[in-house]
Amino acid sequence: MKTSKPNSWIFCMAATVTIAVAFSGRLAGQTAAAKSPGGSSGSGTQWSVQVERIDPGHLDLAHSFQVAIYENLLEELNKTKRFKYVLREGDSKASEIPDLLILKTMVVKYTRGSETQRAVTTVSGATKLMVRSQLTTREGRIVLESTVNGNVRFFGSNLRATHNLARNIAKVIKESPWLGSERLARYSPVNSDCGRHTSPGC
Amino acid sequence: MYRFFVLRNDNSGCFGGHALIRLWALLLCSGIGALAQSTAPLLKENPPFSTRATHLLGLPNTKSNCKGRLSTQDSVLRFQQNGKPVAELDIASVRDVFLGEEGVQVGGLPMKIGKTAAPYGGGRVVSLFAHKKYDTLTLEYVDSNGGLHGAIFQLEKGQGELVRNELVARGVSSSSGDDELTKQSTSEVTHEDK
Repeated sequence: MKTSKPNSWIFCMAATVTIAVAFSGRLAGQTAAAKSPGGSSGSGTQWSVQVERIDPGHLDLAHSFQVAIYENLLEELNKTKRFKYVLREGDSKASEIPDLLILKTMVVKYTRGSETQRAVTTVSGATKLMVRSQLTTREGRIVLESTVNGNVRFFGSNLRATHNLARNIAKVIKESPWLGSERLARYSPVNSDCGRHTSPGC
Repeated sequence: MYRFFVLRNDNSGCFGGHALIRLWALLLCSGIGALAQSTAPLLKENPPFSTRATHLLGLPNTKSNCKGRLSTQDSVLRFQQNGKPVAELDIASVRDVFLGEEGVQVGGLPMKIGKTAAPYGGGRVVSLFAHKKYDTLTLEYVDSNGGLHGAIFQLEKGQGELVRNELVARGVSSSSGDDELTKQSTSEVTHEDK
């Protein structure tokens, strides 16, 4: 009698875990299935994007930061899976692609931080980047414009700010409502303002 | 004792032979010298160069933040990780090279955890001393389609300049302004859009 109780407990727990795992897998499958048609831009045309090199403006932004933002942007845009091709600046294939958007990024604010200062004080030494991103058509019409931040406040090297920034830019692009190609065709410029991202138009 | 003298005296008759041998040796030495002089510039032109580096990002088929050896040989820049395939870059495709400087906390993740776990803020004191300055070498290069790429390496202090000089000697253009840009301690700089 004594051993039957723990056994039933174990059986119940195992059954619960099995059911939970089975349901979570099924739900995940359903969400993936529901997302996948909308994920590819929701309509016939899937756009490609060409990332231009980072414009530091008049700021004294180190070249390593510019290159890191550029490379991280390419990686993060690829991860969104919203674009058919993510091309680099100067890529000769860009001329052959009909539906191409161009991503221009200009740095508007930069605070040079220090990893040591962050580690010692916690509250100071943050590296902050603020950029203005423009997604334009070949003809130069602005489809999406937003101001995005990327910071490192506590842990990580200064270059990590570029990774956070690129991730935020990709997120803004992914979540923006321009994705419907009809909207792009009609052209209505979109100003993005997502929480921590500030946009002059909003 | 006298044997040498005797022998010498015996050979003194062959003075012409000795002279010939000496002349031949002299010619041989000068010939080798001349050969060394003629090959020396060729060797100096492209001597292989290698240094330890950390690849931060940008090289194809190479993980970020991995350590290895950065070397230049002939017209190729190589990054070799231990036991991993070599990432190669044609130096002719490198458009620009920039040098910078960055202060980094040493010890990686274990050190960070240790510092966080240290009582009475001891980790902060450790952080004060556990930092090191590195050179950052930034390369801009193009692929076969003309697409712009960037790669960043972190090297021991002073090594960045050597690599840059190596690349410049192989025909890469360099912008030295980056040094000043990264060293200056601007608290905050802004550029509002016009």
